[in-house]
This record gives sequence, structure tokens and C-alpha cells, in this order.
Amino acid sequence: MDESPYWNPRHETMPREGTLALQVRKLRNLVEWADAQVPWQAKRLRNAGVTADSIHALDDLRRIPLMTRDEWMEGQLEDPPYGTNVAAPKDVAIRYHMTSGTTGKTPIRVLDGMKDWEWIAEMWCYGLWGFGVRPVDTVFVAFGYSTFIGFWGLHYACEKIGCLTLPGGALTTDQRVKQIVDMGATVVCSTPTYALRMAQEAKTLGIDLARSSVQRLILSGEPAGSIPATKKLIESEWGAKAGDTAGMTELGTIMIFECAKQPGGTHIIEDNYIEEVLDPDSGEPLPYGEMGERVVTSFGRGFIPVLRYRTRDFVVKVPGSTCTCGRTWDIYDGGIRGRVDDMKLVRGTNVYPRAVEAIIREHPEIDEFQIHLYTAEGRRDEIEVLVEVSDAKADAAEILVALGRELADTHEGLRFGVKQAEAGSLPRFELKAKRLLDERIVIGTEGERRTQA
Amino acid sequence: MTHQMKNLMDADLSEAECMLVDVYRQLARTVEMHSDELPPFAKRNALKAMAALWQVMNGLDMDPGQVYHLGA
Repeated sequence: MDESPYWNPRHETMPREGTLALQVRKLRNLVEWADAQVPWQAKRLRNAGVTADSIHALDDLRRIPLMTRDEWMEGQLEDPPYGTNVAAPKDVAIRYHMTSGTTGKTPIRVLDGMKDWEWIAEMWCYGLWGFGVRPVDTVFVAFGYSTFIGFWGLHYACEKIGCLTLPGGALTTDQRVKQIVDMGATVVCSTPTYALRMAQEAKTLGIDLARSSVQRLILSGEPAGSIPATKKLIESEWGAKAGDTAGMTELGTIMIFECAKQPGGTHIIEDNYIEEVLDPDSGEPLPYGEMGERVVTSFGRGFIPVLRYRTRDFVVKVPGSTCTCGRTWDIYDGGIRGRVDDMKLVRGTNVYPRAVEAIIREHPEIDEFQIHLYTAEGRRDEIEVLVEVSDAKADAAEILVALGRELADTHEGLRFGVKQAEAGSLPRFELKAKRLLDERIVIGTEGERRTQA
Repeated sequence: MTHQMKNLMDADLSEAECMLVDVYRQLARTVEMHSDELPPFAKRNALKAMAALWQVMNGLDMDPGQVYHLGA
């Protein structure tokens, strides 16, 4: 049999009506499981008049109440440490993980059993195989293995596929770069930010990564993997194809991946998830092509049933047929576009960090940047962008002027103070980058003004 | 031995897929009914194998259900 380009050909190429029928059946099973095992879920479902027997079509999903992160946190406070949404006894769990805590909030804590970990790896297999990773590959995982779930699932997926897997934890950046080159890695996995960081380090070491054996980069952890300018920069620095993926600790693994055809978006793993796109204010479903909030239902992890979880991620769904790979699974065009909470209001203009990054990355001479919000004269919102231009041959002054103009043009004329920062002075990141520093004491326009403590 | 099997989407499974389904079912039955008779190495390795084959069942649309009660 010829090698399939799909991890699970039957599911990935199934006609849409088949995928939808499969989702309905799995939804019924999930409701039955949650209702029977989790009193907290049973109460919510029963109050909404939802039982497994009442699930006949995908429209029935809309009768299930939306679940929020706040409810998850309340459950953890009510029944610490794991909360009220746990469906199996703790003694059959084999692993504990938690959210990365980059938002400063109390972390979400999760447990998984043995078969949950097979499933977690399986979701990564869809993504890795779909992007062309094969048993012959040598995969370097640039990840600090810890209680943050991050690339753990990817690591096991690489082993499942049969790759030679190099766990790149507890190493400095220069050690990682040297190991990638010395070991002849053909695939490197990291956040987009860290892929650029390693490229910078390679230059310092006099290593030309574009001439290394690396053919593919698997990116995750930040929306930047689908920002065209950032992806282009990463691909150019590494001389390799970069594929975006995205997952959540709440699910344990990825739910979307970019296939080898690189259609400018990420396929949804629709045999294991139902992904809805809703208006974040009204909760009404949005049609293809409109940006809304991702709401996810997961059929995988049984330990913690996830039914209609509001992710706060912004996405735009388009039909799978917009990609030539043959998968029938829908696509999030542009991957995760940002988070509902990311948006900053500056003098009446909405500013999204992802949009700012997309413009900055059009200037490959810029190594690192930071978006800084502050209050001027105790009353006025100001936004400045600090950039490091380390290329001695580049005309930094010209770049600053061009960048300021481009940012204003794309933000209703909003004035950005673009300044050059000393080389190496801005923070570097290995996991999720935090490039926005909001130090305002007064935020928003007149009508929305609020004061921080 | 040739036998036919359909999954829950009413699709025919191949002969090789049917064989894996049979292996999973036999393994699950052994774990469920005889795990107390097995030494630790056999019981825990059987559970690990079952967890891996659970994913085959899941991918073949054979609705393997939850297996936490068996320890996996």
C-alpha cells in the first residue's frame, strides 16, 4: 500500500455529511458520559433540558450551556485542586499539567489517564503527519519539559510515528542550536518567537541554519505561526517550511494544524472536536468568513469533559475545500487571529498585538520588539513600539519612520511612537512571548475610562 | 480466517482492521476479567497496550467508550 498523506485517511477525507453524523454520535456519547460521571455537568445539562437521548442533530449542541474559564476556576476553588469537572477517580490519572500562567491568572489544573495520553499524542500525529513528518525524521523539541503541557503531546506523537526524537529541555539557546546542527535534525519544534530567537543565536555562532538539515518547523503556542510576515521570516531564516498548530491545556493537545499544502490556515481536527464560531457578544453562530470567538467541544479527554468551552480566541472559519490537500475538514483561515482579551483600546482605536506584529515583521532587520502602553501627563493614552535593529548595514532611522507610518496607516491614523532600543535590551522568550507592556494608569476613551489600582 | 465487520459509520473495515479490533476486544476482556491473576509487569503492560489499541478503536469508529474503570 502506498504511504498515505493522511494520518487517518477515512476520517480526513470523509464527505461532510459523514463527519457531521460522526460528530452527532460522539456528542451523544460525551453528554451521556458527562451526565453520568460529573454532578456539576449533570446539573447544567439537566437545567438546560439536555440528555443524551435528546441529541439527534448538530443543532442540538446549541441547547448545551456555554462554559467559561471563570466557571472552571470557580470549580477549582469549590473543590480544590482539580475542580468540579472531573469524571474519573484521581488514582487512575497518570499525569498532572497546568496552564502556563502567562496571563498571571490562577492556572487551570488538569489530569489525564493512560488512554487520554494516547489520544493527546494522536491529535499531534494528525498535525505532524499532515505536515510531512515521517519515521525517517530526526525531531528536535525546543521545549522546557515541565508541568506546562506545551509540546509534551508532540514528543509522544514523534515517538508514535517512529521519529528519532531529541528532547531539547534544560538547554541554553546556543546549546540547542548546536545540537540541532550536530545531530542533523530535520524537524524543529518551538514557538514562533523561539524559532526566531534560535535563528538569531545561530547567526551569533556563525551558523547558517538555511544550510542545515532542517526541512520543517512545527510551530505552536502563539498566533504568530500563521502571521504571514512572521512565518515568511522564520522560513527564510531557517531555509525550511514552517507549519502552524494550536492547542490548549484545557483540551490537552492541539485542535488545529496546517497541512503540507500550507493553505494560509489550519485544518480543524473535526473527527475529535466540534468547533463553533460565535459572535462573542450575542453568542449567535457566525457564517463562514466572519470573525468570531472559538467555542470548542472535545471528544477526546474523558477525564475532564469539555462541552462548548468559550476559548476567547478569535478565528475565521472557511470550508475545507479552500485547500487542495483533499481533507474535508474546515479551516481556520489565518489560524488563531488573536484573543478577545488581547485587544487594547488606545485613544478610541482598537489595537491588536498580532496586527502590530504582522507589520513589524515586514521589516526583517528588526530582531525583537515591545509594544509599550503608558499614560502621559496623567491623562493621555500613549502607545510606543520599541524595536531592536541589530543589522549594522540597515538604515535604522529610515526603518523607524517607515514603521511609524505603516502602523498609523493601519490604525486609523493613531500615532505610534516608534523608538530604537539598544541591541539585546528587550526581553527574549522561550515559550509564549509577552511583548505587550501596559503600564497605563488611565485606560480608554472618555466614556470607557477606568483607573487601575 | 476471513470475516467482515462494519464500523458505526456503516463502513466496511479491512481484514487487517478487523484483526486489530479482535485483538483489542480480547485484550480488554482479559484485563477486565483476569487482571488480578496477572503479575504487575503483565497487568501494567497489558493496560498500556490496551490504551494504545483504544486509539485504534477510536480511529476506526468502533466507539470503545471510556476505560478508566479498567485502569487505563
